[in-house]
Order: sequence, then structure tokens, then C-alpha cells
Amino acid sequence: MARYGMLINTKKCIGCYACRTACQRQNDLLPDESFIRFEEREVGKYPNVTVEHIPLQCMHCEDAPCASVCPTGAAHMGSDGIVEVDHGRCIGCLYCMAACPYQVRTRNSKTGEVDKCRFCTLSSYENGTKMCSCVDACLTGARIFGDLDDSDSEISKEIARTGAAPIAGDLTRAKIYYVR
Amino acid sequence: MIYEPIWGAIIAWYLFLAGLGGGAFATAVFVRYRHPDCKRLMRVGRLIAPIVVIIGLCLLMFDAAAGFAHPLRFALLLTNFGSVMTWGVVFLAVFVVVALIVLVLDLMKREVPMWLDCVGLVMGLCVAIYTGCLLGVCQGFPLWNSALLPILFLVSAVSTGMAAVLLVGVFYAPDEFNEVVVMKKFHFWLPVIEFVLVAALLFITAFNPSPAGWESVMSLVAGNWAVAFWLLFVIVGLVLPTILECWMLWLAKHEFETSRTGQMISALSDAGVLVGGFMLRLLIVSAAVPITIVQPWML
Repeated sequence: MARYGMLINTKKCIGCYACRTACQRQNDLLPDESFIRFEEREVGKYPNVTVEHIPLQCMHCEDAPCASVCPTGAAHMGSDGIVEVDHGRCIGCLYCMAACPYQVRTRNSKTGEVDKCRFCTLSSYENGTKMCSCVDACLTGARIFGDLDDSDSEISKEIARTGAAPIAGDLTRAKIYYVR
Repeated sequence: MIYEPIWGAIIAWYLFLAGLGGGAFATAVFVRYRHPDCKRLMRVGRLIAPIVVIIGLCLLMFDAAAGFAHPLRFALLLTNFGSVMTWGVVFLAVFVVVALIVLVLDLMKREVPMWLDCVGLVMGLCVAIYTGCLLGVCQGFPLWNSALLPILFLVSAVSTGMAAVLLVGVFYAPDEFNEVVVMKKFHFWLPVIEFVLVAALLFITAFNPSPAGWESVMSLVAGNWAVAFWLLFVIVGLVLPTILECWMLWLAKHEFETSRTGQMISALSDAGVLVGGFMLRLLIVSAAVPITIVQPWML
């Protein structure tokens, strides 16, 4: 069993939204739906000021609040620590969206079903990409995907080197690590 | 990013109607226990309870668009007993069935077994509490994530349930309306308790470690929702009923209280309670700000 996660280096991120667009194409999303949300803020002190771009997406939490509140079992913890949505079970009550502390779940305006980042390299076995399409699309190499349990994996080494941490500390034991 | 509330007015209506139904059933049991001769008022409670809850459930199913398109998926609602919503479905299902049986027995002029009334009462109160727990377990919203919320919704549910029964009763059974003084005096205190609970909820939420708590409270008392909060909830929903009922129950002469004018003043107070009950749900649902929107990087 692997425990998959992702590292996002906001120091490399230029806020070009290439990951978001690639994700929308890969997952066949409606134009008004996206799995990656960008937050921006100013950092530094005049005259050395810059804008930090923070892409937020499903954190694939180990204590996933969406899965614990979902009344039908549509939102659930899948294999290898990936939080999944079984669309055939979703009634669209949006309880998972209210429970998610990161507001990264979206609602398909056509079907009413809830959706979110699927870690597409693994979760769409038939037509999945070789690598998560956001990782492939990133122009600056700000994203790394891999097995957190394997200490030799690129992501584990990078987390150890940079001291990357989940965006909200211990809250929900998220598996997206941020370099800030 | 501009935050759009996840749930809107439909869910607020549902939370209001579910609580109202549970409260109306509790009122019917109260009438049976304390004013056993007021059969028509009892029937009003038994009639309102299942009807409003069923209307609320229809709204809920309509709001759950994916389930509305694939109704069989609603059967899956009983799969995750770790979810408050699943428990709510259990309480609602038992409550609606019991309330309908009680109603049919009442309409057939048959005696309703005491145990059935008790089961309905407990389930009705469970429905009211669950509507608070439903929001309460969402840890990202300081305004919701508090143990006070289920208690507040319970008190409001009983208050709106009684107000609905009294409001219908004043037209349907005016003579019985004058008799249920004990119930009216009990009902008088509910908005007062509600006021204390709301004040406590807002104070504690404002001091939440996350600025989202402060933001939520400010949007209620001094922001986008301030007019609705002060005017429709506090004045119309809490202060007005308290003043009018105080006048009718303790200050006015008995002849005036039982006159048609007195009854209309009481009816106005009950209508106020209903407006306040709905506004409470709408405000709590709409004004809650999640922690990660305010400052996603500060956490």
C-alpha cells in the first residue's frame, strides 16, 4: 500500500493557471467547474514585495471530514489514501462541501453531483495520464506527486529538504504539502 | 475568492419546517398532558406536525439535485451511521410515520396510545436537535461548530411549534385558545431563553481563534445581515412576542386577554415567533464564514 500525496512549491508557482486548465481538460469538466482554486496574497515589505500564489485542491485528508459526513458513502477513502467520490451514490446534498475546511469540492451544475481532484494519474486507470495532468502541465516544476511512505521517492526527499507542510498544519492530516 | 454559501434559503426553510413539525407534535403532547379537554388544539398540533415535515423533506429532496434526478440513490442514505445526516434520516422517517399514525387515529376519533405519543415526542425533539447537529459538526465554520447550536435550534423548534399551533388555534378553536394558559406561560419563556442562547453563541463565536468567527458575528450584527438580524429576528421574533405576551399574560385584565382583541394580539406575537424562527435558520445558514476563506495561509 502506498500513501500518495503531492508537494506544491508556492515559491516556484507563477499563478499561470496552466494546472487548472489542464485538469479541466483531463477530467472533462464544465467551464464553470474547476478542481484547483487559487488564493493570492502579498508578501514582503516595501520595496521588496511579491505576490504569493497558493493553488488549493482536494487535500486527500487522512481524517477526511467529507467522507465522515457523507450520508450515502459516495465520498469515501479509497485505496492508497486517495479520497474518492462515487458519483453513482451521490445525491448532491452538499454536506461534504459544507464539511470540507478547504472549500475545494465543486458541484457539477449539470448533474448536481459533487466532484474534486482525483489524483488522476492513479484514479482513472483506463484513460488516466502517465502523471497527474496538473504536474505535467506546470511550467515551473512547482508540483511533485508521489508516495509519502517511500522515503526514497522524490516527494519525500523534497519534503525533507524544504520542510514542506500541509496548508493548515495538523487539521485533517492533509496529504498536499506546501513549500512557502 | 468570493465565498458563496453552500446552502441557501431552501435548506433554511427545511431546517425551520423540520423543527416546527417536531415542536408542533411536542405541543400536541403537552396539550394532552396539561389541557386534556382541548381536543381541537391537540388535533391542530397533530395535523401540522407531519404536514410541515413532509413539505420540508420535499424541499430537501428537490435541493439535492443529483438524488432528485436518480431517486433510487436516496436508499443509500442509510449506509453511513457516522454521519449526522444519516441519523437525521432515521429520526425523520420514524417521526413522520408515527405522526401520520397519530393523525389518522385522531381523525378516526380513536384513542392514541400514550406510548405512541411518547415515541413521537422523543423523535420530534430528536429531529429538532439533529438540525442543529447537522450544521454543528462542520468544523470549518465557527458559527456552526458549537454545542450551543443544537440547543438553540431545539428551543426555537418548540417555540415555533407552539406558536404555529396557537396561531391556527386562535382561529380554529378560539375558546380552547383561552383555556391553555399554562401552555402560553410555558411558551412565553422560550423566546427569552432563545435570546440568552443567541447572545451566548455570538459572544463565543466572536472569540473563536479563527477570524472567521468574528467575521460571521459581524456580518450578523453590523454587516450584510444586520437589518434582517435586528429587525426581523431580534425585534419581530424575540422582543415583540415577549412584550406582547408579557402584557397579555401578566398585565392585561382577564376579560381583555380573552376578548377577540386580546386574542389577535396573542396571534400577532405567535406570527412574530414564526418569522423569527425562520430568520434564525436563514441567518445561521447564510452568515457563517469558513475559516479557510478568511485567511487560508494563517492557519
